[in-house]
Amino acid sequence: MARLEIRQVSKIFADHTAVSDVSLTVNDGEFLVLLGPSGCGKSTLLRMIAGLDLPTYGDIVIGDRVATRLQPKDRNIAMVFQNYALYPHLTVYENIAFPLRVRGADSRLVDEKVQWAAGLVGLSKLLKRKPRQMSGGERQRTALARSLVRDPDVFLLDEPLSNLDAKLRHSAREELRQFQDRVGVTSVYVTHDQVEAMGLGDRIVVMQAGTVRQIGTPEEIYQHPADTFVATFMGSPPMNLVSQGDVTLGFRPESFLPEGNYPAGSDITRISFRVHRVEYLGGDRLLYGHVSGNLPETPAIARIPSSVAYSPVLGSETAFAVASGDLRRFETASGKALSTAVPASERRLAHA
Amino acid sequence: MLETRAALEGDRTLAYATLAPSVVFLVLLAGVPTITVFVTAMQDIGMGDMSGPYVGFENFVWALTSESFYTALWNTFIWVFGSVSIEMVLGLGLALLLNKTFAVRGIARAVILAPYLVPTVVAVLTWRYMFHDIVGIINAGLIATGLIDKPLLWLNSESLAMTSVILVGVWKFFPFAVIALLGILQAIPQEQYEAAKIDGASSMQQFWRITLPYVMPVFLLTALLRTIWTFHKFEIIYLMTGGGPLDATTTLPILVYLKAFTDFEFGRAAAVAILTFGILGILLGLYFMLIKRAEARQ
Repeated sequence: MARLEIRQVSKIFADHTAVSDVSLTVNDGEFLVLLGPSGCGKSTLLRMIAGLDLPTYGDIVIGDRVATRLQPKDRNIAMVFQNYALYPHLTVYENIAFPLRVRGADSRLVDEKVQWAAGLVGLSKLLKRKPRQMSGGERQRTALARSLVRDPDVFLLDEPLSNLDAKLRHSAREELRQFQDRVGVTSVYVTHDQVEAMGLGDRIVVMQAGTVRQIGTPEEIYQHPADTFVATFMGSPPMNLVSQGDVTLGFRPESFLPEGNYPAGSDITRISFRVHRVEYLGGDRLLYGHVSGNLPETPAIARIPSSVAYSPVLGSETAFAVASGDLRRFETASGKALSTAVPASERRLAHA
Repeated sequence: MLETRAALEGDRTLAYATLAPSVVFLVLLAGVPTITVFVTAMQDIGMGDMSGPYVGFENFVWALTSESFYTALWNTFIWVFGSVSIEMVLGLGLALLLNKTFAVRGIARAVILAPYLVPTVVAVLTWRYMFHDIVGIINAGLIATGLIDKPLLWLNSESLAMTSVILVGVWKFFPFAVIALLGILQAIPQEQYEAAKIDGASSMQQFWRITLPYVMPVFLLTALLRTIWTFHKFEIIYLMTGGGPLDATTTLPILVYLKAFTDFEFGRAAAVAILTFGILGILLGLYFMLIKRAEARQ
């Protein structure tokens, strides 16, 4: 296990800059998620940590060694690929044993380690299968076991759940997190799926166009986005943004409720809302409409739990409100948050 | 849908009608000659008497007890094994090389495929000049570099003739192996190698543990296909040596030709042809078995 440090790393390809001056630290045993839309540079950053790509500038430090120019095999890292990169001609057993075999480990040690890793991911009964005879979830676990078998310092995962169907993805996510808690290896996980990022990460690094937009715990990122990009990238539906001159107001759909829902005398900001359409999602209802009245007419969405008794009248202006504590302010020109201070009560240590 | 039945009947008629020309051609071009060969093999047909008497399996008995048949069989084995093994090893090596990224890769790929595109007759005549004992460039080169001190009779000595024709066969057909193997090499996902690099595999280990197992099914199929095609190859050998000197390069197809058109023993030629056909049939069966297994593995 080790701490991982990325120091002012840039990667410039012939025609574009994939990663631009990124610095971040992954603490020992931490689960860090690199999150961003496709093409944001998150996979390139991961490949540079793995040693598959060389940074144009900057350094990568694993433990107390500068690893920037080390071969992948000398970094003591393990990586799970998006398509798992299992060897189709080898059995599950031999796939897991591969890293030990190529290092010339003796067969007793190989067997011991393979049984241990397979046991950890629940594959002990499938060791004789070939990858093609396995489900997506089983393949993913095989790839996990293969990456574990040699006690890596750092564990790199490149969208390992994206090939699974929605139902399987949910359970695989849970398994993965439990598994990381048990093994406690420093992990860097790349995904474009914010739900995955929120569910898995101790901390999340939100990237866009090769740069880091924000680093923080899932709560920090969700509740106190550093800018309007993060505000709209995180959350589904995204944060409502209403420009009012130099300042842009932001509020989450679930914080945007009919005024009657707040106890009398609470600190709220009133916003008129005209609902055009209601989408029933089971647990919640999504109300699509426009804010109006004292604010410039802007599209917005409210998310109201189905348990809240409220029947919207389509097309007419209704009094809605946001608790003042849930209202965010951004500078309209730059998109940056105006008060980024996170209340101490909401701060959560990455690995408490 | 009262018309359905009629429409179906109509479709069927149309289907048969459009298939008919192909079937007729197939029967005329493949069926009739094949049957004729079987019939001929049962007859004692010689020059001037094309309506020879029925002799049963006599021609087969002759073939299976004659020295010339077994010499031809052995020569065929040497010719096929020599050509295909060198073609495949050379093909794999060059495919691996062409799969790497380097400056003139595009040009190199085109150049390597060139022999496959040269007409056989042109290639053979060129090689015959090069192999010529007195004016040939090969002897000239070997003498100039001091490797030999007097010209070698490449095509006219019993010991060298087979080597020479194999060399030309390899030159002409190794590009086929290159194309086939390059195709499968390019289909190996890069992540396999990246995963192996991270896991600590050296280049050699990557070759033995990833590349080779990946390539093997295609390698075997290509080798078998080349075996079948090389087995009945006729023109290269015939144009190079005519099967000689003596019978040093007489393979089964050459023997068939010589029996028929030099000795005018059509019956015996047909019998040898059918035996050759049988051996090829076994190889073809093996080929389809391998294909089936490869498909089952997908």
